[in-house]
Amino acid sequence: MWRSAPAVKRRATAAVRFMGGVAAGTPIPLEKNETMKTRPQDPIRIGVLFSETGVTSVIENSERMGTLLAVQEINEAGGINGRELQIVSYDPESRPTRFAALAEKLILEDRVHVILGCYMSSTRKAVVPVVERWNALLMYPTLYEGFEYSRNVIYTGAAPNQNSVQLAEFMMRQFGSRVFMVGSDYIYPYESNRIMSDLILERGGDKVAEHYVPLDASWEHYITLAKKIKQFSPDFIFSTVVGDGTALLHRAYAQLKLDPARMPIASLTTCEAEVQQMGAGIAEGHITSAPYFQSVATEANRRCLDNFRKRFGVEVVTNQCWEAAYFQTHLLAGAMRAVDSDSVADLLRVLPGSEFDAPQGKVRIDEHNHHTYLQPRIGRINAKGQFDILEEATQRVRPDPYLVSHTLTDWSARVRAVAR
Amino acid sequence: MRSSSGTSRLLRELRSLRVLVLHPDDHDGQELIGQLGRIGCQVKAFWPPPDKLADEADLIFFALRPEILGMDLPWLRKDGLPPMIPVVNYENPVIVEAVLQLNAYGVIASPVKSSGLLTAIAVAVNQAEKARTREKYVHRLEQRLSAQRKIAKAKAILMLTRNMSEDEAYNLIRNRAMTKRMTTEEIADAVIKANEILGLDVKG
Repeated sequence: MWRSAPAVKRRATAAVRFMGGVAAGTPIPLEKNETMKTRPQDPIRIGVLFSETGVTSVIENSERMGTLLAVQEINEAGGINGRELQIVSYDPESRPTRFAALAEKLILEDRVHVILGCYMSSTRKAVVPVVERWNALLMYPTLYEGFEYSRNVIYTGAAPNQNSVQLAEFMMRQFGSRVFMVGSDYIYPYESNRIMSDLILERGGDKVAEHYVPLDASWEHYITLAKKIKQFSPDFIFSTVVGDGTALLHRAYAQLKLDPARMPIASLTTCEAEVQQMGAGIAEGHITSAPYFQSVATEANRRCLDNFRKRFGVEVVTNQCWEAAYFQTHLLAGAMRAVDSDSVADLLRVLPGSEFDAPQGKVRIDEHNHHTYLQPRIGRINAKGQFDILEEATQRVRPDPYLVSHTLTDWSARVRAVAR
Repeated sequence: MRSSSGTSRLLRELRSLRVLVLHPDDHDGQELIGQLGRIGCQVKAFWPPPDKLADEADLIFFALRPEILGMDLPWLRKDGLPPMIPVVNYENPVIVEAVLQLNAYGVIASPVKSSGLLTAIAVAVNQAEKARTREKYVHRLEQRLSAQRKIAKAKAILMLTRNMSEDEAYNLIRNRAMTKRMTTEEIADAVIKANEILGLDVKG
């Protein structure tokens, strides 16, 4: 039976209730309402949404730590023109619906204008409509699959032209072009594998298999997968498995005595946090492409690691997402100081185009696409659970999130051996 | 539903797509140009819409503002126009009617948002390509149908005037076509013409 359009009888959402008499669907632009300008003595509040529980809590906890470190540094250096930067943080439990609800709570109840957060694309996609609706700003410190731009989002992790292209080029040059693809069953792996497939096919390579496992897949899943890998014996494995599954994949790989020196797992997401979770023993020899590793030898990184150790202990481990979370908070603080405001309209005048001397090197937010210029690197995990940096791009690479057709013949973004 | 082969040609070639934007230089226009730039299309923008289309384009975004309804744009009536995506800020029947008059393969609403544009472009270009293929196919079918009609009529003439069977009549037409290196349609045409000149009245 056809149903006619329902009369306006929507369930009152938290947002509507909060706004009292305001009709649904007519958001109040927050900058007309209440910004840091209206209460000049109070601390400036920013929202933080990184999962402390759930499948991706390990990496998201580390993003949270990177944010906290930056906020401490900012406050010790006088805050935002004398005002303290204060964090309002919730645990979204790695669940998209909870991310959306908490983002709305942060904006409407805690009155924040900026939210730092999200790891999985599914959680970002849940938050984007919320920040657009209330004209807030999301700063997203995670590599992802590209094809997004929102005026209300700043993206500080790598786009595929800053990690996938370099990884494909390196792996095919060093190991061969028969690839076995394995990923978690959601959108980021689909799109990353599409890009990798194109790059490999372009070079006359061969995708021997493409498998997806549920985010909460069991040990048996991964053992079956490792057996398949053994049977196909590819030149390398491209893994877009994220979260707790990463450790299981490596453990299954080790259990079947597969050899990383001959047939490594290449990844864009397996970083120091995952290595620490699984143990260096089973991680050693595998390859990751990322703009930052803890082992990066820059002055800014040394300084930042010292600070981190002083506050959080000697055993701290950092990674690319931690670093992006760290530098984006500093970029935000810089912008807030420059305009002496936390209103989104003001911040968006200065954030695009702004630069920061990050641990990975100088980063810069692109004016046109809101993504970030980053420094591609290829690292191999060593026995200590750190990355030996094998190659890096000669200069930072402009983000190009809408690039459909990547090509290996463009040498401008290519990684080169690191001089030792 | 995921494609197992490589990325489709249409998506791979998005950056060579020539997009004409007929839109005022306002917030929507800026948003449109900005996102087309991010996607990487080749973009030219004009307002008001020109009298002549000087530039070859693969896709046209067209702000269907009430003030252009009275304009005479002769190029809109030409065949072989690239697919269009109107940008509408009113949704009343007058504007919707105007959308239907265009070679529209999608529509985007004001305020223009960056999300959704890539899909709108892909759908429009893909549907326009399919429509072109379909038109070519229909044209070929029409030609074949008209040839069949002529051959049937010529066969009928031969059967009646030469007392042939249908097969004999067809073989005669085919053999002549082969020796004269012409199509069976052309021979059938000649038979019909000759018959008309001789003044016999044969219904096909």
